[in-house]
This record gives sequence, structure tokens and C-alpha cells, in this order.
Amino acid sequence: MTNFIDYLLGGFSNGAVIALMALALVLVWRSTRMVNFAQVGQAMFTTYVALTIQQSTGNWVLALLVAIGAGAILGVIVFFLVIRPVKNSDSTGAIIATFGVLIALQAGAGMIWGGDPRGFIPPVDNAGLEFAGRIWPISPYDILVLSATAALVIGLTLLFTKTSLGLSMRASAFNPEVARLSGVRVNRMLISGWAIAGATGAIGGVLIAPASTISPNSFDILLVFAFTAAVIGGLDSLIGAVTFGIGTGLVISLVSGYSDSGNAPIVALVLLALNLLLKPDGVFGHHGARSV
Amino acid sequence: MNNVKNLRTFPGNRIIWHAVIVGIVWLLLLVLNNNIDPLYSSYLALVAMYATAMFGMTILVGLSGQVSLGNGALMAVGGYVFALTSMNWQTVPIIGWQWNAVWSMAFAGLGGILIGGIIGGLAARLRGPYLAGLTLGLAVGVPAITNRFPELLGGENGLMLSVPYPAGGYAALDSALGSSSDSSSDGTVDPNSAVEEDQYAELDLSEFEQGADLDADLAPEDLLTDDDLLTEEDFGVGDQLTDDDLLTEEDFGVGDQLTDGDLLTDEDFGTGTDLGIDGGDLGTDLEADLDVGVGTDLGTDPAVDLTGITDAFDSGFIIERWQASMAIAVACLVAFAALNLVRGRQGRVWKAVRDDPVAAAVVGISPSGSKISAFIVSSLFAALAGAVLAQILTLVAPGAFGLGLSLSLLVGIVLGGRSSLLGAILGALLLVWLPELVDGLSGDRGWPEQITNNAPNLLYGLLVVAVVLAAPGGLTGTVRAWIDKGRGKTRSPLS
Amino acid sequence: MLETVDLCVSFGAVKALSGMNLTVPRGEVTAVIGANGAGKSTLMRALAGLVTPQSGQVLFDGRSIAGNKPEDIVRNGLALVPEGRSTIPELTVEENLRLGGLWREKSDRGASKNLVFDLFPILGERASMRADTLSGGERQQLAIGRALMSDPKCLLLDEPSLGLAPLIVTQILELVSRLAKETNLAVLLVEQNAVTALRVATTGVVLNLGEVVKSGPAHEISSDEELRHAYLGY
Repeated sequence: MTNFIDYLLGGFSNGAVIALMALALVLVWRSTRMVNFAQVGQAMFTTYVALTIQQSTGNWVLALLVAIGAGAILGVIVFFLVIRPVKNSDSTGAIIATFGVLIALQAGAGMIWGGDPRGFIPPVDNAGLEFAGRIWPISPYDILVLSATAALVIGLTLLFTKTSLGLSMRASAFNPEVARLSGVRVNRMLISGWAIAGATGAIGGVLIAPASTISPNSFDILLVFAFTAAVIGGLDSLIGAVTFGIGTGLVISLVSGYSDSGNAPIVALVLLALNLLLKPDGVFGHHGARSV
Repeated sequence: MNNVKNLRTFPGNRIIWHAVIVGIVWLLLLVLNNNIDPLYSSYLALVAMYATAMFGMTILVGLSGQVSLGNGALMAVGGYVFALTSMNWQTVPIIGWQWNAVWSMAFAGLGGILIGGIIGGLAARLRGPYLAGLTLGLAVGVPAITNRFPELLGGENGLMLSVPYPAGGYAALDSALGSSSDSSSDGTVDPNSAVEEDQYAELDLSEFEQGADLDADLAPEDLLTDDDLLTEEDFGVGDQLTDDDLLTEEDFGVGDQLTDGDLLTDEDFGTGTDLGIDGGDLGTDLEADLDVGVGTDLGTDPAVDLTGITDAFDSGFIIERWQASMAIAVACLVAFAALNLVRGRQGRVWKAVRDDPVAAAVVGISPSGSKISAFIVSSLFAALAGAVLAQILTLVAPGAFGLGLSLSLLVGIVLGGRSSLLGAILGALLLVWLPELVDGLSGDRGWPEQITNNAPNLLYGLLVVAVVLAAPGGLTGTVRAWIDKGRGKTRSPLS
Repeated sequence: MLETVDLCVSFGAVKALSGMNLTVPRGEVTAVIGANGAGKSTLMRALAGLVTPQSGQVLFDGRSIAGNKPEDIVRNGLALVPEGRSTIPELTVEENLRLGGLWREKSDRGASKNLVFDLFPILGERASMRADTLSGGERQQLAIGRALMSDPKCLLLDEPSLGLAPLIVTQILELVSRLAKETNLAVLLVEQNAVTALRVATTGVVLNLGEVVKSGPAHEISSDEELRHAYLGY
């Protein structure tokens, strides 16, 4: 039982990062109705940028801010260079193109920063807290990750529900034509969507990096987890992405704790397959994942 | 009218034509294989292996419109089935016949069909991005399964293979693979051995220099001594080649582990976990090493007694050539099947469902049935390619079948041309050739390793985006569009 | 107010509109009627900027707007209520309305919202409900309300009768007609349902295969038996 609680607690911080990546996928889905498989590639790239900043200045906050900016810019660049030209003509091509971006980003990062795994020093202590006579699997850094995620989620929710920009973005996502006829500059909304998604992913990348190491491919598995969480959440739903992002993190932590961390991808695969089989629209979704 | 006429023509005519075309290509490739440097034979083997897998991608991604990143994982299925059956079974279950590689290939194919059916059944219900995500999970999850069963599947290190290389070179190979080529085994022996002798004269010179180079490279490692000992031992015995070859394989197990070690270092140097797209690199590196081990060192080592060499070449057994001819055989058989499927009724069914599932359903085609069948066919091809790769590497390991392999298949098919079998072949060539080209360039200009190792992938990624945006038909689609433009026809880039 | 001069629209080799001339004056309803495929919706989409005309002019307030973006056209005062249920079902009624005037000053928006709630009280009652809970007629009202939130000088209505009960259609169209007279709004109504359309319209235009066959006072067109038989099918 103690083990169970420890494993569960240990999963929250990873789950929060998975939730952020899933959020990024959902944000892109909502703006352009496509899955950006390059999302974690972008996050990996901006995390390297943050790493470089941190190593040269020693300032973690500055590194995070630069990563956020870089993530937004990278998102916009990918949107303009790749997604906008391809989007309507060829849906298969759009999916393939995002993988092209992923491959190029990973290779680019390998060229610039090399393939060796690099460590990322956390801004606060990453060792478990001692409390009530024992060490808990939650560190000050985990608390930072969780609160940053919570703040971001609340901020995004307010943005989407309370502001004109949020309403315009939602309208553009649901029905671009009606949005345009209402005077909304839909293109700017799509760009905003990609920028916010890029920034969200960048935050996720910087937050997860201290948990292990960063290398050009180290986020691949995160893509699978985030996609799983986003799809189970319904791809359309911010709440769904966060809920199932954290849920996926907890499941993975339990699986890793009771068996072996190498089993995590298999569990994600099984979760994804079961979900697509039983409830393909996701728990919070209301559109068709199934084609037939 | 033309179409109507085609439909009425007895399909047998078409099948015969396809058989003739594939047969000629097969023959040309075998002649080519026998007349090139063994190093190039190893490239040829890889191209044939990639092409085999990518014929399946043509059908799945191109014709059926399902973006799959799982074909690398399906190759893993084929590779592991091949490895497990050939390692553990001495006789065919129930029938009790002597086990050989062909049976393992057959079982690998069956495994592919089975897994493909299961995943296809799941996938056929899903729209594009969901399918891509699910197969992505497959690409990451399946290699992880090998860690789950370390005793059975060898965990991270994988399984070393003792591929039953036949004695007596190509003649025996034909019978071993149950070749359906027109030329009888006897017919191929004579010209081959003649070629071999000519080849030997050439090899002696060209290989010598190259061997010296490689020798210098490898000098610090103990590889050379090991290999030399092995070669002497093996070829010294002469007549009993079969047993010796088996021994060689086992012994090379040791060498291979070193090679494997090399691989890991390469990988670590270059791209870290970037194994992926460099499934190709992986192969070629290994090949290069094997090349040094088996082919070239013979010439460079003065200690090897000359009759031993002559015997070895007389027997016609050069491992790269054997691997290439095996890979070519599989690729040609698969190409024949793919040609008939793509250009027959089934190809039209796949395209119909891809272009408009509702309309296809209205005329009585089951969209999910069509998608599942595409998945099964591509999975079969992938599994066969995986079995071939296992024989080329003499190793199955999760690293060789990772996400990168799946991605490289996608890259190849997109660059070559999504909907064309020729595109698959061109894509396969590109996957093998581009890294070599970059390597060559980098050698000339002295680029750091970090650049060299990542340049092919950077190019692939950018090219994929460029092709999707500017020429969705890939290389073949674009060329075809030019030709049609010349003739004043128009056609959809994906048709 | 709104005028087209020799407007031509093609889709590939198919000419949807060939040389359309049309004038929509303020303060009244102009009805464009015609059978399926006559080019009515194409006309509307070209006016709103969703389709780029091949040649010809669209003059709005004396300025040429052909080829402008839809979001700019609506900001200039030409609002389209497209065919079908042109609301966003995932948003609430209030959000749908707010969407129609997001680019305007907040104070101006409030006035328009009051006007819409006066015109269609049911929308006020359902303000916080999701649009997909509304009935067909309510949704059409919401769509018109959303367009009115932009304080248009000219309102384009594409087939508002589609799929609605005749009584509701009549109610809605009479409201629109009254609004046109009272606020000096120019309304262009496109309808397959000629009887209803001509009842509220001042001027009628009969469109067939992309060309104007006849235009004139609405009552003349509705009494022209030959025209009715040939093009309107009743």
C-alpha cells in the first residue's frame, strides 16, 4: 500500500508534463483539425535552446522564457512553411509532412547539439521531500512542475472562455467559414493556435528535461504518451487532455513501479488501442475518429 | 474503351507479362550482383530489403491511403519469427522435414499476416491522424516488448542468428530458397563459377587496396586477429563447407558482437538514439565490417595460404553476394505479387476506397475490408523484409526495428512516389544511397561527425516536406506528370 | 447600396454566373429566385467574398469589393447569413451572437445585442444554452441575429426557408422585411421558395443557369404565369 501511494505520487509530475504535451496537440487540433506529430520535436528543440541559455547564463527563468518564445515562433514557422501550404489539398500529405518536420528537427538538433544525452539542472531541488518521518516521492521541483502546469491550464481556460481572442479561436476551430463571415480573421487565429501550442509544448519540454536527460530522440516516447492522453481525452478537449495526461502519467508510474519502466510504451499502446476500439471519440470528445 | 477492353482480357495474360518483367529484372540483378564489388552487393541487399517492405507501404499508404508508422514494427515481427524458428526448430513441426531458411521465411510471413490482420482490423475503423498515432504507438511499443521477454527475445541485445547459409554458393542457394526462376540450378552454377574466377582476378587488386584501408581503420581493435583466425580455420577445411559455414556463423557471432559494439558506438557518436532512419546505416556499417571480416582480409593477410583462398572463391561463397541474392529473390517474388495486386482488381478497390469510401460502399465494396486487406498485404511484405533484414544483420534487436526504421520507410515511399511500386524501388535506392553520398562528401570536406551523421536525416525530413508540398506524387509521380504533360494528358498527382 | 456589374463566376469549366447585373436598394427586400443550380448561392458567396469572381464588379456603397476577404467585407457592413444552419453549435447562443460583433467597440456591440434580443426574444431566453439545443427556426434566428451583430448596411440571406416550417419562415421573413423598412437596411434574399420570397420582397429577380431571366417588381413576377411555369416550377 505504501508502495502504491509512492508510485502514484511519483506519477503526478510526469503526468503533468504529458498533460502539457497533450494540451499542445489539442490546441493544434482545435485550430487546424490536424495532429502535429512534430510537436514534441519542436519541444525537444526549444528545450535544447533553453539548455544552452541556462548553461551560459545560469538563469532558469530566462531559459524558460526564451524557450516559450522560441516554441511560439517555431510553431508559427512550421504553420507557415508546412501546414498552411499543404492543409486542404491532401490530408495524408499533411500527416506525413509533420513527420518530415519531426525528422528534420531531430536531425537538426543532433547537428547543433550532438547526440549525447545531456543533463538539465533543475532550478530547485529534485530530491524527495522529507516529511512525517519518511522521504516522499515528491520533490520541490515536482511541486514547481505541478504548479506551473496548473497555472498554465487555468490561464488557457480563462483565455478560451473569457476573452475575445479565445472566442474567436474557438469559433475558427469549430467553423472557419462562419467565423470569417462574422469578421474574425481566421488565419490569425490559426497562427495564434499554433503559437500557443508551440509555447505550451516548450514549457512541457523544459519542465520534463531535468527528470532524465535530453537527446534528439528522448521525447519520442512522450509523443506516444501525449497522443494517447489527447485521444482518450477526445482531441478537442483541454480538460480531457489534462485529465488523461495526468492519468497516463499515473498509470505509467504504477506500471514502472510494479514491473519495469520498459513496459510503459506497451501499456500506452494497449490503452490507446482499447480506447480507439471502445470509445474512439474519446471521453470528452464529440466528433468522429472512426472513418467507417 | 481501353479500360473495358482491359477488364475483359483474361487476367492470365497480365500475370504472364508481370512474370516475364519480374523474371528479367531478377536475372539482371543477379548478373549485376555477381559482377560488382561485394561492398556494393551489400548495398544491393539493403535496397532489395527496403524495397520489399516499401512495396507494402505503396499499397498501404499510397493506394489505400492509410498512413502507417508501424511497418518497422511489423518488420520486427518478421525478423523475430525468423530468428526464433530458425534457432529453435530442427524439423518442421508435424511434417517432420528438415528445417531450412525458407520455412522460417514462410513462418515470418504468416506471423506478418496474423499481426497485420489484427492491427488492420483495429486500424480500418480509424481516420488518418488516429491511425498514424496508433501505428506510432506500435512502432514505439513493439520493440519494447522484446525487453519484456528477455529470455525468449534477448532483450535489448537481441538475438544472434545462425542463418543456415548453404554450402556451394549460389547453386545450393537457388534450391534452398525454392527459387521459381526459370533458370535451373544447374544452369546457374556454371556461368557463376566462371564469373567468380574472373571476379577473383579483379578482386585481388581492387579489394586489396580497400582492404588495406579498412585494415588500418580496424587495427586498434582485436577484430582482425579474431577474424583471421576464423577465416583460416574455416577455409582451411575446404570440402566440408556446410558445417564450416555454420561454424563461421557461430564464430562470427563473436565477431558480430564486436560489430554490434561498433554499431552502438557509431550510433552514440552520431545521433544518439537516432538509430531510426539509420536502419540503413546500421545495415551498411555492419556490412562494411563483415566485408572486412570475410571478403577482404583474406587478400591482405599474408598468412592465409593461397589454396585456401582459391577454394573459398571457387566455392563461390561470398556472404554479401549470398545476402544480396537472397534479398533480391524475396524482393522479386514480392514485387510480382504486388504488381498483380496493384494492377489488378484489388488495386482499383483500394484506390476507390481511398478516394471515396462512401461511393465505394455504394457499389458494393466493403471499405473496412479493403483497408484490412491492404494492411495484411503490407504487413506480409514487411514481415518478409524483416526476415531478410534479420539475415543481413545476422541479428534481431529492438534497436534495429525502432521508430526510425518505420519513419525511414515512410520517407522512402514519399520521396519515391507514394502510389507507385517503381517509387518504392527508387525510395529504397535513395534510403541506401543518400547516407553514402553524404558520407563521401563529408569525407572529402572533413565535416565533423556530428554533421555527417545527421545530414541524411535532415535532408530526408526537408525533402519529405518539400515533396508533400510541391510534388505529392514523389519522384515517379512528377516524372510521370512531365511525360503526360508532353502527351497533353492530365492526371491527378496521386493516381 | 449594393450593385453587381457583369459579374461572372466559374468553377473550372463550369460557369456558375455569367454576366450578372443586380441592384439592391436600401430599405427594402430584393428577392433572387430560381431553381436548384441557378447560381443563387454562388452569387451570395461571391458577394460575401467566399468565392472570387472571375470578372465583373461588385460595388458596395460605391466602392468595389470584388476579391476582398470575407472578414473585411463584413466589417464594411455587408453581412451574409449562409445557407443551412450557419451557427456554431458548440458555442452558446450568447457566444454565437458575441462572435458576430467581436471586432466592434464594446459599447456598439451592446446596442446591437439589445436590438437582436428585441427582434428575437427567444434568443434572450436561451442566451446561455448551447446553440445545438435550439430548434431549426431558433437557429435560423440566431444566424440572422449573429449577422445583425455586425450592424450591417446590407444583409444577405441565403435560403432561410431551407428545412423550416412555412409558418416560421413567414414569421422570420416578415420580421426581416419590417427591419429593412424601419432601419433602412438593404436586404438581398435568395430563395427557391418563390411564393414566400416574393411575398415579402419589393423587387424580384429570376435567375436561371447563371443568367438573369427577368427582374421587376415582385408582384409582377409572382403574377407572370409563363415565368412561373418556365423557371419557378409552380
